[in-house]
This record gives sequence, C-alpha cells and structure tokens, in this order.
Amino acid sequence: MSTILGIDLGTTYSLGAYMTPAGPVVVRDAAGNALVPSVIAFRDGRAVVGGQARAHAVENPLNTVYSVKRLMGKGLIDIQGDLKYLAYPVVSGRGGMACVNVSGREVTPQELSAMILREVKARAEAALGEEITEAVITVPAYFDDSQRQATRDAGRIAGLEVRRIVNEPTAAALAYGLGRKGDATVAVYDFGGGTFDVSILRVSGRVFQVLATDGDTHLGGDDLDMELIELITSEIRTRFGQEIAFAPATRQALRDFAEATKIRLSSQEQAKVEIDLGDSRRLARTVTRAEFEALAAKWVEHTIEHCRAALAGAALKADQIDQVVMVGGCTRIPLVRRRVGEFFGRAPYTAVNPEEVVAMGAAVQAGILAGVQRDTLLLDVIPLSLGIETLGGAMGKLIMRNSTVPCQASETFTTYADGQTSVDIHVLQGERELARDCRSLGEFQLRGIPPMPAGAPRIHVTFLIDANGILNVSARELRSGREASVQITPAHGLTRQEVDRMVKESYAHAVEDLTEHRLIDLRNEAGRILAAIDKALAEAGGALAPQQRDALDEAVATLKARIAESDPDALYAAMKAANEAATPLTEMQMDQVLRMTVKGRKLDEL
Amino acid sequence: MNEVNHPVVPTKCSRCDRLMAEVSVCDYCHWLNPAATGADYFALLGLPREFDLSEEQIRGKFLAVSRHAHPDLHASENPEAQELALRVSAAINDAYRTLKDPAARAGYLLELLGGKSSAEDKSVPEGFLATMMMMQEEIADAKGAGREVELDRLRDVLQTQHDGLMRRVAGLFREYQEALACQAIGTDLLNEIRKQLNAVSYVKKLLSQTAEQVLGE
Repeated sequence: MSTILGIDLGTTYSLGAYMTPAGPVVVRDAAGNALVPSVIAFRDGRAVVGGQARAHAVENPLNTVYSVKRLMGKGLIDIQGDLKYLAYPVVSGRGGMACVNVSGREVTPQELSAMILREVKARAEAALGEEITEAVITVPAYFDDSQRQATRDAGRIAGLEVRRIVNEPTAAALAYGLGRKGDATVAVYDFGGGTFDVSILRVSGRVFQVLATDGDTHLGGDDLDMELIELITSEIRTRFGQEIAFAPATRQALRDFAEATKIRLSSQEQAKVEIDLGDSRRLARTVTRAEFEALAAKWVEHTIEHCRAALAGAALKADQIDQVVMVGGCTRIPLVRRRVGEFFGRAPYTAVNPEEVVAMGAAVQAGILAGVQRDTLLLDVIPLSLGIETLGGAMGKLIMRNSTVPCQASETFTTYADGQTSVDIHVLQGERELARDCRSLGEFQLRGIPPMPAGAPRIHVTFLIDANGILNVSARELRSGREASVQITPAHGLTRQEVDRMVKESYAHAVEDLTEHRLIDLRNEAGRILAAIDKALAEAGGALAPQQRDALDEAVATLKARIAESDPDALYAAMKAANEAATPLTEMQMDQVLRMTVKGRKLDEL
Repeated sequence: MNEVNHPVVPTKCSRCDRLMAEVSVCDYCHWLNPAATGADYFALLGLPREFDLSEEQIRGKFLAVSRHAHPDLHASENPEAQELALRVSAAINDAYRTLKDPAARAGYLLELLGGKSSAEDKSVPEGFLATMMMMQEEIADAKGAGREVELDRLRDVLQTQHDGLMRRVAGLFREYQEALACQAIGTDLLNEIRKQLNAVSYVKKLLSQTAEQVLGE
C-alpha cells in the first residue's frame, strides 16, 4: 500500500512526515532540515518554493508570497489588518475572495498553498522513492469551515487526495504518545508562526477525546516579529528623520532581521543588532530579553485568555490539568513557557522539536486511516458553533461549539410564496448573537421543491459535520419525500468546478520523471549548501582551526564533483558530509552580531 | 424526537444475519447497524433506560461503541460503509452529548417515557418564580454595583438550588420506576419531573448570567 503523507501546512514553515512500524518519521533533506519555508517566489514565470524563495524575498518582495495561510478561506474585507504585514499585492478576487496578484495574474490562496504542498510532496517522494497520492493535512483547531475547505481544495490542486484534515494541537497530542500510563487530562498549547490554539483533551488508553478548544487564527510569531520591526523602524525614524519611508525590499529584510533577533533572544539574554543605512548612518544597539518580553507580553496574555476560555468550555479548572504540552516555534520563548507554567501551576512539557510534532501527529493519523495503527482513536470537536440566519438577522445555533465530530442537526423549513420551488439558507459559524457578527459560510439554495401553496412544504434539512470538521448539507421535502438538491455558493471558497479546473492545470504542469526531479532538487539544495558555506567562511572563516578548515575544503571539493555527476544517492551523501564538516563554522557564525545592511540601495527606497 | 421512540433491540445484523447484543455494531462481524441512527440514545450506547447513571459509566460505553463506529476505523472500506460509519458515529456523539449532561438526560428520558416536552408544559413548582424574580433583581444589583463577593454568594445559592432540584428529579425517577414495578400509573410523577426540570433550566439561565459578568471583566 502506498504511503499516506502527514503534512503540517504552516504559516511560516511546512513539513511532511510518514508512519513506519517504529513510529512517525519526519521527511528531511540532505542537510537534515525538515522545515520548508512556506514561501513562494515567482521569477521569470516560474515558481520557486521554500528556502530558495525565502532567500530571494529581499530582492524580489512584490513577487514573493509568504504567510498565505492567513488568506485561506477569507474575503479581502476580513484581512484588512493583515495587509500591513504583507509586502506583496493582495487583491479582491471572485466574490471578494482574497487573492494574490502575481505579475498581473490573480492567484488564489488555494493554488499558492498547493505549490507549498507540492514541494513537501516532492521532498517526501525523493526521500521515500515512491509516488505520494494521499495525505493528511493539519489545520489550526480554530479554523472555520471555509478555511478547512480551502485547505482540502489546496491538497486536491496539488494532486493529493486529502484523507483527513486534522487539528494541529490534536495531532501534536497523538505524536507525544500521551496516555500510555492510564487516564490523563492534557492541555495542548500551540503557539505557531501565525496562529494560536489551545485544546483540552482527555486521554484514556489510546483514545484521544478533545473536550474543548479555543484559539485565534490571527495570533502568532508574526505578531511578535512585528513588534520588533516597529521598535527598530521607530528608532531609525527618530535618529535619521521622520520622513524615511521603507520600501518593500527593506520591509522584507526587516522581517527576516526581526525573526532572527527573536530567535536569538530565546537562548541569550541580549542580542546586538546593527543596521547600516549607508551614508554613515548606522543604528547599533542591544535588544535585551527583558525589552522583548515587554513587547511580547500583551500577545502572550491573549493566549492565556484563550486557555481560560478552553478550560471553561471543558468545565475544568487549571489545577485539574495533569499535563501541559507545548507545540509551535513560539513555545521556545522563555516568557511563553514561564507564563503558561504559572497559569496551569505546573511546568509545561516541550518537545525537542516543537516545530515537528504536528507533522508527526499527522503521520500517526495517516497510520490510523491506513489501518496500521488500529489501537488509536481520535475524537475531535467542532471549534465554532454552526447555525443559520433567522428572521431579523439573528444567528440561530444548530450545533454548539465543542461538540464531538461527526455530529448533526436538522431543521425544517417552509416556503413563504405560493408555488415557490427553492429556498435560500444562509449558513453561519461563530458565537455571536447577530448573523452579521458571525463568519458566513455561504448561501445554500435548496432546489427542486414541488410547487405547493405557501407554507405547505416541509423541507427537512440535515447539517452533518464530518470528522474533518467540514459541513455537508442534505435536504428532503417531507410531504413529497423528494430529495431536494443543495446548491452551495461558498462565501470565500472555490466551487467544485473551479477546483477541478485547477487540478487539471496542475497535472499539465507536473509531468516529470521522478529520478530526474530528485536530481534537480538535490542539485538546488547542494547549491544552497555551498552558498551558505561560502557566506559563513567569509564571515567567520578565520576562526576555524586548520584541520577543521582542511576537512571542510575537502568536503566542499567532493560535493562540487558530485553535483557534476548524475548519481542522486552519492550526491545526497556528499551533501550530508559537507554539512557535517561545516558544523563548527555555523556554530561560530551564530555567535557573531546580527548585522543588517541596507547600504547600497537608493536613498528614496528607505 | 418522535422518530426515535421505537425499540430496535433485539435485531439481526444486516450482513451476517446473527442476533446483535448491541444496537450500533454487530459483535460478531463488526458491521454497523443502519437502524442504529434511529435507535433511542440509551439503546444506542448500550445503557439501561434510567436516569441514575454515572458519568464514568456513560463515557465508558461511549468510548466502547466509538471504537467500532468511528469513520477513521472504516477509512479503507467502500463509500457505503464509510457513509454508514459517519451517520452512526454522528448519532452516537449526539447521544453522548445529551446523556452526559444530567438535565438533558432527564429531559430526554422524560419524553421517552411519554412525558411532556418543555414546549408543551411550561409550569414550575409553586413559589419558584417569586424566588427567582428576587434572585434576578439581586444579581442585577450586584452586577450594577460591581460587587464580586455578592455575585459569588448568589452563584453559590443558585448552584445549591440547582443541585437540590436535580436530586429531586433523581428521586422522582426512582419513584416512577417503583410505581411501574407495581403497575401503578406514573403520569403525575412525570408531570412533576417536568416542573422540576423547567425550574432547572431557569436556574441555569440565571447561573449563566452571573458567569457573563466574570467573562466581561
């Protein structure tokens, strides 16, 4: 049986994992990297995904797409607050759907996410040496129906049958191998690049039952980076003039810079930063951890509020939680660990690689679906209540949030005009009282109702939420017993026909020989490794011991020779060796000052 | 709710034709029973049709049937079997959600036994409304003045009220069972349970009002 790939499709990074008899294994490249930056760069009509795309973001900001997860299943109007983060142009597509303008072409977030998925898929195919056609993809637990559908559509466009959409914190719980020692109540705190989730689970044996979930799909490491960017730009303006405007390329460079500073401050008390603006305008300062924590505090407090709400949803108190597990890159931040520990009154548990556990959990779920993990069962919940718009614009709830999925509700509708043959239902998701304050999932039109006097038909509509947390609607007219057809106009999603068209288009572009493909990928990767070594040598090469330098030179020479040949396995081995030889160098480089140069760009760019 | 009131046990497995001990799944061939979606919630989870059930007992049964019915465990079967797993699983989850909450369980059982729904009979115990009006005013005052301690006290009073009402409901269900055993008519008892349950939902509404204040801070 072919492998079902588990994929963590993240805001900032994505990665894949697969199940083996020994447990889940993360897909890595030759250098041992699992994380694929969720970045797509368009150059000369070609799309490049991952590290290479990210490296070019500074030169090519308008054609480099990142954080596309924030646009999934959203209308342009919903994401006004995000636009200031995004250097690339976001436009309003069909029905107001948020789309990206790539050199004049309107590209949907689903297609962009599909490009990332295809990259993760290709890496897994290279590592496994087989074709991958099925996947389990994770989403934030707090994703609504539109965002889940958009993710599933992205998978289909990438040529993957999405066997399951799994919630990220739940996937993490599966990967942590909890519940081996009897019953436990567990909180999973998942603070990632762009989203925050907290789920409370009851684990009994190998049954993982989610009791409640809460979160914010717009709260993540990006927000902390933004705080650092604001700090730096405001100081630049104070010192060198308020009129300085930041060009897209500079904003992009600042983003990378802020992220590096944030990461540095997790392991060190302070980070020296230097920004060279040219014309001997230089900003050099030390950002202390305390300073960063003061900026991050309000965001961390938001996450604690969501923890409180999740506990209330599970009808539990903080001291009833037996274990707190941490997921997502932001949980490396000492402030986050401290605050979560204080709130739950116990030290949280963090995995060695909090960025990788979600993908591993997706692989476990893939194992369940493939029937190789028969002892494990996951019972998840719907994060937001589902309802319909009733008279007067109120939200009539049919399925309450935190209900275990699959679940269903039915409602009977009628007509208000003689001979009426169709009825419109506006389906909503959210907790607010008024329809306009909830998220619209779209208009569902019930058709094929036999013509009868007004009020006579009894149309029985069933709303069924499947195990993916995705809504399915069916309708039947009770008097005639006739099945009514349900025509769906998604508020900010793709219709079936649109997805089918995109799937066809992607097939047309993706006919490549597997080995050839792997060789191309490996050569690209090897090129990146060589460039990184060159750069590191220039910065910190002098500090290397002679024998370290010799070993490195030899490994580099071998790697260059292998690139010219056509043996992917030998190339892979040479890449691994070069990386190992370069380890002392990269460690030294880490100790250097975080330095950013904006010099050499036109003054009006700043 | 009217559709669920017909017994489906004992029944035969639609695949292997053996008699089934449980409603939802055949214990011999593990095939799901399509009729399970129409079974009453107690039968669906394999629980006795009574009010006195512990949380652990209900959860244990729920997990046991979910282990057979959940769509994940039928993922490699044909679309028909997958659809069936989805429907049965949804019904099981609905059943669990209703039965694990004592007030919802009581209301469901009451209607199953032929009692009136809250829409048909809105009566409450004598003197109850007057007490609640008073409580409501006190809550409004405490909220208006931001007196957190007073709100806490009112919450405690309401919780005690709630627990007392639920104990009375449990007692009435026991009396009903005994009456049934002596072949007496239990209609009055069912009407009394309805009254108590109407009072419970009233108290719950007030309790949630006191909680809103806390969240709003």
